[in-house]
Amino acid sequence: MTLAENLFENLRLELRRGCLTLAVLAQLRQEHYGYTLRKALAARGMKIDENTLYPLLRRLEAQGLLTSEWREEDKRNKRFYRLSSDGEVIFSRLLKEWSDINTAITNLL
Amino acid sequence: MGMLDRYLQAVRRHLPWLRQDDIIAELRANLMAQLDDKEAELGRKMSDGEIEAWLKELGSPLQVAARYRPQQYLIGPGIFPIYRFVLRLAMTWCAVIYAIARTVEIIANGRGPEAAVGAVAQLPWVLFINAAVVTLIFAIIERSGPKLPEKWAQGAAMGNDWQHAALFNDAQFAGRKKPKTYAQAVAEVIFGWILLVWLLLVPHYPYLLMGPGVVILKVAPYKLAPVWWTFYWCIVALNALELTWRIFDLLRDRWQGPHRTRNLVKQVLGLVPMVVVLAAPGRVLIQLKNPADTAHAATLAQIDQWAYRGCEVIAVIVILQLVWMVGRMSIEAHRRRLAAVR
Repeated sequence: MTLAENLFENLRLELRRGCLTLAVLAQLRQEHYGYTLRKALAARGMKIDENTLYPLLRRLEAQGLLTSEWREEDKRNKRFYRLSSDGEVIFSRLLKEWSDINTAITNLL
Repeated sequence: MGMLDRYLQAVRRHLPWLRQDDIIAELRANLMAQLDDKEAELGRKMSDGEIEAWLKELGSPLQVAARYRPQQYLIGPGIFPIYRFVLRLAMTWCAVIYAIARTVEIIANGRGPEAAVGAVAQLPWVLFINAAVVTLIFAIIERSGPKLPEKWAQGAAMGNDWQHAALFNDAQFAGRKKPKTYAQAVAEVIFGWILLVWLLLVPHYPYLLMGPGVVILKVAPYKLAPVWWTFYWCIVALNALELTWRIFDLLRDRWQGPHRTRNLVKQVLGLVPMVVVLAAPGRVLIQLKNPADTAHAATLAQIDQWAYRGCEVIAVIVILQLVWMVGRMSIEAHRRRLAAVR
């Protein structure tokens, strides 16, 4: 990887990091377990690899933005996540922030 | 045991033990669901080779487990700028204090150049220990920060106040950046003349230097050695040179310049009087007014020794000042070069 490509990759990851959280919170207004959440996000154009998504879910839950419960589905125990009430408040504020940034960037371009 | 189970076992070994079971159970459920999907797409069971390739894609067990650990910093980005500032300050002052303390110690104990070499060799360790202590303190602050969020917020607020006070203090800021005016440059020349005249009058009217203390000089059994005359004329010559330089700058409309060369030359020539004193024949700086006065001869030797050591310490300080100045000038020159390239 050249220096320029490496720099681009670092900036791209930095740009994506905050957006991933927003995307996960948006998708978890409906209940999902890890793998179906990943598929749902990918289907809407937001691909996230397993090693990023699954630990992210645990961090968001530890921060109180998500709630989870173990439940059996298709004869397997799975952990289902959903946006918590605190998460809903934070999500709507983040969404507003993202919208403002998006508008500002659009105005700049 | 299947390949996936062995993989999950390997991941488990690197996880925080309190959450191992929970994480592995969730990861297993997700990976099994993914495996089911892949096999459904293929319409058959995946072979061991295919599963192995898929697990390799997921990453090494160590990498996978690492993502479940909280991100840990020794010094986090929040306090890193303050840490860097304090570290630089602490290292600089540590080096200066160490240099002065060891120099005084070596001179006072009359130790040779090997002691100076030993002191220089120890400096990196002293700096290393100093850096380690500063880092340890900041690491403790970093760890205690999230546990004491209220105190942390107060500390951050104090940091902001300090920045504002320093940046918006107009008088302080202006005083540092304001260029010298013509009136100031003329005043410097006038005061330079007065200083030179005062210096030239001192040998004839010693009370100009010593005030009432001149009485002690008259009754004391000691007098200054001839080397001090050479020292005196060196000081006069240095002041005359600086005054001439200032007058030339004034005449050539260059009184506002940075005067880097002048300051450097002044600092280098400032070593000459010290060299003159340190090269005094027989290291004699004080003499008896009456050479036959045996009563004060013993005390004289002691006074002479201490006077000479005092001059050595001053010479070391002057040399350190010169090194500091050359270092700063080199850094400034480097910065100017970089700025020119940009």
